[in-house]
Amino acid sequence: MAKDRAQSEDFTGPLKRLLLGVVLLCLLGLFLLWRIDSPRVERFRAQVVDHVVPSFDWAMAPVTATVNIMRDFQSYQRIYRQNQELRRELQQMKAWKEAALQLEQENARLLDLNNVQLDPRLTYVTGVVMADSGSPFRQSVLINVGSRDGIMDGWAAMDGLGLVGRISGVGNNTARVVLLTDTSSRVPVTIQPSGQRALLIGDNTAAPFVDFIEAPETIRPGDRVMTSGDGNVFPAGLLVGQVAQDPGGRMRVRLSADYERLEFLRVLRSYSNEKLDQPGRLIAPEALPDSSGHPAPENMIPREAGNG
Amino acid sequence: MAELRTPNRWGMRALYLMLCMGLIFLHLLPLDTLPRGWAGPDVMLALTFAWVLRRPDYVPPLLIAAVFLLADLLFQRPPGLWSALVVIASQTLRTREAGLRDLTFAMEWLNVATTLIALTLGYRLILAVLLVDQAPLGLSLMQFIATLLIYPIVAVVSQVVLRVRKIAPGDVDALGGRP
Repeated sequence: MAKDRAQSEDFTGPLKRLLLGVVLLCLLGLFLLWRIDSPRVERFRAQVVDHVVPSFDWAMAPVTATVNIMRDFQSYQRIYRQNQELRRELQQMKAWKEAALQLEQENARLLDLNNVQLDPRLTYVTGVVMADSGSPFRQSVLINVGSRDGIMDGWAAMDGLGLVGRISGVGNNTARVVLLTDTSSRVPVTIQPSGQRALLIGDNTAAPFVDFIEAPETIRPGDRVMTSGDGNVFPAGLLVGQVAQDPGGRMRVRLSADYERLEFLRVLRSYSNEKLDQPGRLIAPEALPDSSGHPAPENMIPREAGNG
Repeated sequence: MAELRTPNRWGMRALYLMLCMGLIFLHLLPLDTLPRGWAGPDVMLALTFAWVLRRPDYVPPLLIAAVFLLADLLFQRPPGLWSALVVIASQTLRTREAGLRDLTFAMEWLNVATTLIALTLGYRLILAVLLVDQAPLGLSLMQFIATLLIYPIVAVVSQVVLRVRKIAPGDVDALGGRP
């Protein structure tokens, strides 16, 4: 159809048509040749490319660079927004990091709670710390187990690792734990490996000091401090901490329990304790010498009342 | 008269060559080294068709063949086939040019569309018959549609900026005869 019309047009002389035919023949022949003998034509193509593209090269590099620079400018425009987004994401990441750290610590503490070796005679009730004393002068926490769970006064409270304090004041659903750092806390301890008996006395600092040591020269910083069980106040052998020496040369105990983050406390049932009819019996043995027996209970009563 | 017309015609042929070389150059720019999932319009083809339908004497078949053969070689297409088909298509449009001269642009666009369809299908058919690996059909269709969409733009630019206009009755006298 095209050829018929082309013949009718006056622009196509015979020479032009012949030329057109030759061109088409050459093109199609080249294509067929490529299909039959591809490597040769591809070599030809490579030569053509090799001649043509380097002639573009003088312009290609600058134009490419210009386009890339323009793209870079576009990205510069976005850079402030990107920065803001990154800051926001970083903030979220920090929150997640904090959560992960807290979970890690809680996990370690729970693992400690599971793995700690205890005297098989002891069973325990685990409670969650609900509140602290709310006063800088009293070191105590409130846990969410009480007389409903069979908690009794005088029982030992530990976290997963070390002794924390003693129960002093039991409600129906809550119990108060007086910490070892409280100024009213007195706990008989044994210092290993020397085996010295001593008394751990809280003084409202992070590290209670050790007093009434028979042979202080046998004690070195780093010695382990355990409860001795003297006076049946606590079961024997509960880990308290390690001896450390303060700048004044006084022996103190670096507590094993993590006092900064008291969350879960384990209250040890110890029925071997004496029956406590009055609060004073907790500290004072029943059979005291006549002279010193009576003032101690009278002193303890208002203190306990103040705690409660 | 012939002396007056000749430099203009050769100048426009040179302009066509320059434009095509510029388009090839833009295609060759190493900006997108990753494989793209889309195909842009074949602006060279649209330009060729637009010029053929306006001033056929600016784009002789030999020039079209040379330009598209170079494009074939540079764009790693099967050499010769696409250029041969483009030459045939341009000749088909060239024969219709006189008839389309007084019609609307819609008719011209329709003609271009049918030619493009025939061109694309014929190209793919021949490649399929000769068992040549080819691009996905979706990309071919995308390019066909994009070329069709960009054709009016190319035509307007050619007409307004590059002054490639259809021959009006007054031009015939001024130029001393139809080309």
